[in-house]
Amino acid sequence: MHELSICQSMLKIVDSTMEQHEGATLLKIFLDIGRGSTIEPILLSEAFDVITSGGPYEGTELVINDIPISGRCRDCGRDFTYEELAVGCPKCGSTNIEITAGLELDIKALEVDD
Amino acid sequence: MSRVEIEKKIQSENDRLAIENRKVFAEAGVLVLNIISSPGSGKTTLLEATLDRLADKMNVVVIEGDVSTERDMDRVRAHGASGIQINTGGGCHLSAKMVGAVLGQLDLGSAELVFIENVGNLICPSTYDLGEDIRMVLLSTTEGDDKPMKYPSIFHEASVAVLNKIDLLPHLTYDVEKVKKEIRVLNPDSEILELSATTGEGVDAWVEWILVKLREKKSTQT
Repeated sequence: MHELSICQSMLKIVDSTMEQHEGATLLKIFLDIGRGSTIEPILLSEAFDVITSGGPYEGTELVINDIPISGRCRDCGRDFTYEELAVGCPKCGSTNIEITAGLELDIKALEVDD
Repeated sequence: MSRVEIEKKIQSENDRLAIENRKVFAEAGVLVLNIISSPGSGKTTLLEATLDRLADKMNVVVIEGDVSTERDMDRVRAHGASGIQINTGGGCHLSAKMVGAVLGQLDLGSAELVFIENVGNLICPSTYDLGEDIRMVLLSTTEGDDKPMKYPSIFHEASVAVLNKIDLLPHLTYDVEKVKKEIRVLNPDSEILELSATTGEGVDAWVEWILVKLREKKSTQT
């Protein structure tokens, strides 16, 4: 349950970006959140609503791009989903696997009304 | 209406502070391990067993993270460590900022090893780099053999996984090979050690593993 502190870190980045757009109203925050990032989008949205309530960002929409975990076999190159991953590569059985997506915890962009 | 591109990791501020901590640790010439596990998997017991084998050879510093009480710090002090207890007051993890705030109170100059015992939790601590050299995940046989795939982040991030309480295996349904396979799938480069902090089985090998890492770190610094 560290969505609150992640939300605060995110808002620091938002603050420093909004300082460069004086007078603009923040409408949306675009995030990439991987399912393996340890952050639950619903809890993050709730934390965001609580923190921003009554402030300049109240009503801002969090647009969360929910990214499933996926992997790629380093031996045969096959791409696969997390559900397939537990037993190794579905094609060659190798456990020499690279996680290629699903660990993101990134702020991508803002939409502002200026 | 316009779009402002940012493209930044939300944890970039924590990562920046972790780099600051890493500099302090490097200047002191200490090897730092960040130990992450569920509550009750034996982090403090393993530290006690480790200190029993190392504390007469070198100064060991422990940074203890818990929601409340000094209980863990009292335990490791009794086994020869110096250090400090951080109480997070409900916080589920240590952050680089929390660790950085106490570094000035530690005797790093005379120490060779620093253990950071994170708050018992397999989820949140995996997202916070503290400036450590080695992120270690400790798991125990009593937690069940389904943990790696359920908590992928920490097993992906940790460079070593240590399986504790192997003395209890005869009494449990626990598939060690399945667990190892799941850890390897999440991090093919992960090292895996097995031990019992209570009986001491495997603890000498664990201590030797730490000493090898310490020598490696010292050799890269000189």
